[in-house]
Amino acid sequence: MSNLLKFVENEVQLAALVFLAVVYAARLIWIFRFRSRKERTFAAGSGAVGAGYSLMNVAMPWAMESTRKRPGFYAQFVVFHLGVVAAIAATFIIPYAPEIFRIRAVTLAFQSLLAAAFFAGLLRLVRRLTNPVLRLVSSADDYLSLTLMILFFGAGVLAVPNDYRRAEWPLILFFGLTAFFLVYVPFSKICHYLYYPFSRYYLGRSMGHRGAFPQGRKSRPPVAGPVKENRA
Amino acid sequence: MKRAKSVPSGIVSASLDTRSQAQAKETGLPSVKEGRLRTYEPGDNVQRFLDLLGRRITRSLAVSMTACVHCGLCAESCHYFLARPDDPTMTPVWKADQIRKIFKKHIDWTGRVAPWWVNAASLRDDEDLNRLKNIVFGSCSACRRCTYNCPMGVDTGLLVRFTRGLLTELGIVPEGVFNVSRDQWETGNQMAVTEQDYLETLEWMRDEVRTELGTASVDIPVDKPDCEVLYTINPREIKFDPRSIAHAAKVFHAAGESWTLPKWGWDQTNFGLFSGDDKLGAYIARNVYEAAERLRAKRIVISECGHGYRSTRWEGYNWADYDQKLPTESVVVTLKRYLKEGRIAVDPARNPEAVTFHDSCNIARSGDLVEEPREVLRRVCPDFREMFPNRSENFCCTGGGGLLSMAEYRPLRLEVARIKADQLRATGAKLVCTMCHNCVDGLNDVIKHYKLPMRVVQVLELVSKALVVPGRDETKKTAR
Repeated sequence: MSNLLKFVENEVQLAALVFLAVVYAARLIWIFRFRSRKERTFAAGSGAVGAGYSLMNVAMPWAMESTRKRPGFYAQFVVFHLGVVAAIAATFIIPYAPEIFRIRAVTLAFQSLLAAAFFAGLLRLVRRLTNPVLRLVSSADDYLSLTLMILFFGAGVLAVPNDYRRAEWPLILFFGLTAFFLVYVPFSKICHYLYYPFSRYYLGRSMGHRGAFPQGRKSRPPVAGPVKENRA
Repeated sequence: MKRAKSVPSGIVSASLDTRSQAQAKETGLPSVKEGRLRTYEPGDNVQRFLDLLGRRITRSLAVSMTACVHCGLCAESCHYFLARPDDPTMTPVWKADQIRKIFKKHIDWTGRVAPWWVNAASLRDDEDLNRLKNIVFGSCSACRRCTYNCPMGVDTGLLVRFTRGLLTELGIVPEGVFNVSRDQWETGNQMAVTEQDYLETLEWMRDEVRTELGTASVDIPVDKPDCEVLYTINPREIKFDPRSIAHAAKVFHAAGESWTLPKWGWDQTNFGLFSGDDKLGAYIARNVYEAAERLRAKRIVISECGHGYRSTRWEGYNWADYDQKLPTESVVVTLKRYLKEGRIAVDPARNPEAVTFHDSCNIARSGDLVEEPREVLRRVCPDFREMFPNRSENFCCTGGGGLLSMAEYRPLRLEVARIKADQLRATGAKLVCTMCHNCVDGLNDVIKHYKLPMRVVQVLELVSKALVVPGRDETKKTAR
């Protein structure tokens, strides 16, 4: 293994990870600097249950009409994001637990998943380029982020066998992209996963408190007189 | 802000009409003089808008600003886009992006450094603010259907209301919004009903119910202390639909309820919800809460009104920074309780026509009542039919978000009402029932415009019709 590959796999990744952590910490401080409003009403449901339901929404395609009616799109979403998890896992497995990728079945599973994510990414890019709504709202960041992810998956397919004796460039490309991502992500739309818990939590807490989440609940028994209801 | 790109756009280009505002200033209305109701002043409105944006934004709004990934899944949840599928400016994501890009440019990091990279942009002048007004007031009923369909949990309905609130503070609002806000600030109710009109209408309805039931023991009490129920109503009931008060009186009488209306603080509707003005919202909601406190009522009951229910039950306590002390419920929940406890008896055969139910957005998506009205309707109607989609997936009556008061957006509203019309027609019902006065007017517009063979009713009306009144009904039976 060349010194360049070692450097890219280790020092560069660690430096980029530290940078990501610092920027994320600053992002979190930024979010918490916005004031939050106190809830003053009696609860009709549970804010905590609503928040939990809302956060789990990602795994409940039946809960929203928009995903229920588009199973293909939801499947794409799942494959794409499992690909992200696999690619991130690979960035740690290759330098710190390379023996895992010596198991042929594991390598094949990762490669298959990354390849599927690569194609899901391509479908998403085509959709973004051809759908007039998405064309109108998409920014340069939207296009670049998606293109980079597609490249990342592609590089991952080549890098996962970790066969640096045959060729180092797939690994250098994969880890170079990883380092770039770690620096770029906090400033791009890719950091939506940082906001996801917040946006879904606040929506779920509010709707849960009102009894609107979880959806599909039965009606509550009528209240016979002035009672002390749960307070959120 | 960038001007519209070359895409077909149905955004109405209505100019800012300030005639009512000028008149209000000229006559020296207290709400205008004291600065509670803001009027348009030419000047540095863009800077004032940006200052307000920075000051007022909350954490939940900030994450809704930042979390959108432009996936476009919200598009087909919106009746505007469904009715105009070739117009991308009708999508929730595009509408929300018009405020989001300002947030990105002035508050978010990347947008401040590299605005072109993330489509961040600022406002240039009052014309841009007026265009923003036409988007958030004219092409969205803030029904929150897109909110429920966003995988990221972005609350576009809330973003739209927030933006409306900023514009309201600058007087950059549709004339109808200014007029209704003015009336509610000045008279405590959104239809400028005088105390005399209010009391006389209640007396008139009391006499009607007495005649109908043949007893003088029925009353519509006003400002009676220590009652179980403080009943609050929509001014529309006084002005256009007083029979709904009579229906309530009949039911309360049959249930043996101890109830009263307040002389002041009876308007449970709240235009602050539509204009985004939390100050107005707080003022009106506080009137209701303080009336209940003053009269030592044990429960606040809200007549059938979607935005009134949402405002009085949920938002108002928070706007007014007023800790809830009393149970606050919709009259439909009260009806359900009476039926369950056997306090009223009903004969469903009196409502033989097929009935469907329209869920009000403010109740089903921003509130908590979806099964309760159905349980009541199943007791009083033998032929109840669901419309599809329903409950929290129902489509707006198209008159929500205060759109009924904004004449300039009416043609677009009625055009996109095609979605609601198709939904109604498919039920084959003769009656569409709703627990919202605003929806009554919205649905009536749809029915008239699309020539649907149906009529709008409310839950109280159907319950009142089915009500078996001891004495009266037994006497009639004997006479027959």
